[in-house]
Amino acid sequence: MTASTRNGVTRLRRQGEGLDRALPYLLLAPALLLVLAVVVYPLYDGFRTSTQFWRFGRALEDVGLDNYRQAWNDPQFRSSLWVTLRFVFFSVACETVLGLGLALLCARELRFIRWARTALIVPMVITPVVVGIVFRLLYASDTGLLSTVSQSLGGGQVQVLSDPSRAFVGLVALDVWEWTPLMFLILLAGIQSLPVEPFEAARVDGAGAWRTFLDHTLPMLRPVLIVAIVLRTIDAFTTFDQVYVLTHGGPGTSTELISIYGFDTFFKFQQFGYAAAMLLMVALVVMAVSFLAARLIRRQATA
Amino acid sequence: MRSVLHRLAIVLAVVWSLVPIGWMIATSLKSNREITQDGTLLPATATFENYRSLFTYRAFGSYLTNSLVVTVLSVGVSLVVGTLGAYAIARFRLVWGVERRVAVFLLLARILPPVVIVVPAFLIVEQAGLLDTWWSLVLLYSAFNVSFVVWMMESFFREIPVDLEEAAMVDGDSRLTAFRRIVLPLAAPGLVASAIFAVIVTYNEFLFALVLTTTPRAQTMPVGAATLIGRIDIDWGAMSAAGVIGAAPIVLFALLVQRHLVRGLTLGAVK
Repeated sequence: MTASTRNGVTRLRRQGEGLDRALPYLLLAPALLLVLAVVVYPLYDGFRTSTQFWRFGRALEDVGLDNYRQAWNDPQFRSSLWVTLRFVFFSVACETVLGLGLALLCARELRFIRWARTALIVPMVITPVVVGIVFRLLYASDTGLLSTVSQSLGGGQVQVLSDPSRAFVGLVALDVWEWTPLMFLILLAGIQSLPVEPFEAARVDGAGAWRTFLDHTLPMLRPVLIVAIVLRTIDAFTTFDQVYVLTHGGPGTSTELISIYGFDTFFKFQQFGYAAAMLLMVALVVMAVSFLAARLIRRQATA
Repeated sequence: MRSVLHRLAIVLAVVWSLVPIGWMIATSLKSNREITQDGTLLPATATFENYRSLFTYRAFGSYLTNSLVVTVLSVGVSLVVGTLGAYAIARFRLVWGVERRVAVFLLLARILPPVVIVVPAFLIVEQAGLLDTWWSLVLLYSAFNVSFVVWMMESFFREIPVDLEEAAMVDGDSRLTAFRRIVLPLAAPGLVASAIFAVIVTYNEFLFALVLTTTPRAQTMPVGAATLIGRIDIDWGAMSAAGVIGAAPIVLFALLVQRHLVRGLTLGAVK
């Protein structure tokens, strides 16, 4: 903050009398109360729920941290955690590589990219539930696009969602389809804001495209790249809608993300206490990742 | 030559983005006989039967109304509440640095993944007798958006010089008048970007709508579209039409605000 604005602030404050002095608090109060009532109180209530044993929609007894211990020893919890980690890793890795490649290609095709951009944005605005429907329609073994094309070329049906490992790949493909555009847009903005001089110098020195990329583009783009990767990682960790529609975790538990397992425990099996404990742990992990990332980003920015 | 390659890559990316959606639209225009037996790529004879059935045999009219009401109300509330809060944070130094503390607190609320409160939210709403109403969704979505709006608008307000308001106040405007006449118009781009992002996120929200609503009285579009997803016996025609109808409002909205969209989306994601 500059000195002049700080002076401005104090000068404005001195003018305040009576109602005027209360004004900032009145402006602040609604936002604060809304979040306290609708986010913080439920959070507290959720923690209380997580320390109770629930059956048939009723809290039967206080069990302390037993629900958390139970999750630790629950093979299905561990398996869904593992599926989630793999899903996040593969999705974000593909999105980063594809988004970066596309952004590098497009950086100099400004006029051309303008109309293409609209088309690229559609996957990320479209309702996630509908993205699930879109991919159901692609993967359906009898009537899907993949099978239809394969059959018209003389091949057989393509089975995606009935096979555990292929269903997992199919889910990653869905996420890549939906979110590569976001990576692309963020990185494109990043590339376009880079200074021009280093690149001109490199060209004068006769450096090849690959060397220029490694020596100049990548290091300068690193802060933006980290922000984009962190954002996608945090978001992908709680992916729910698309999986709910596409596979609901199946076949077996091959695509059962932690959000799906938590949801089923809550909504299908009505084990409110256990579900609350699991989801709280997921939130803790996500917040921890956010904090570490924020520190990393800040260090990058000051370095 | 290189330029041709560049363009080819972009065209491929566009095709890759649009073909899956095109397939959904094509399927929605086919009769179920054509879908299951003929295996055509494009509909041989286009029919709107699938769409008609959504509005006559299913409650897609209600889903649409519910989605619009809930989205407009909650985005409206969060914009008003959030903008006022952001202004206070950006312009005032309060006792004990209250404004700074509130800002950090709201940021924490923003980082928190909403899924964590889905169980208590259900229990509280059930106890309050508000299951299957607009109000529970409006309240939740307003609160989810408010932390984001505050965070976004605060940075916009900070960029507006204080001198402008002071001048207006010296000329006799009250603070709120100065805010409305001077600051708000200057912060309009931020307001637009926040609104766009909030509308998209709110319209698309599924988990809380799924848990807190049970009938077409309050179910929103994503929930309505998901009711057509069978496990065994699937009506492909109706499901694809539901997908098209479900996504249509938000895609139309995106195309309408296209000029501000990229800014809204990238800022919204990064903030």
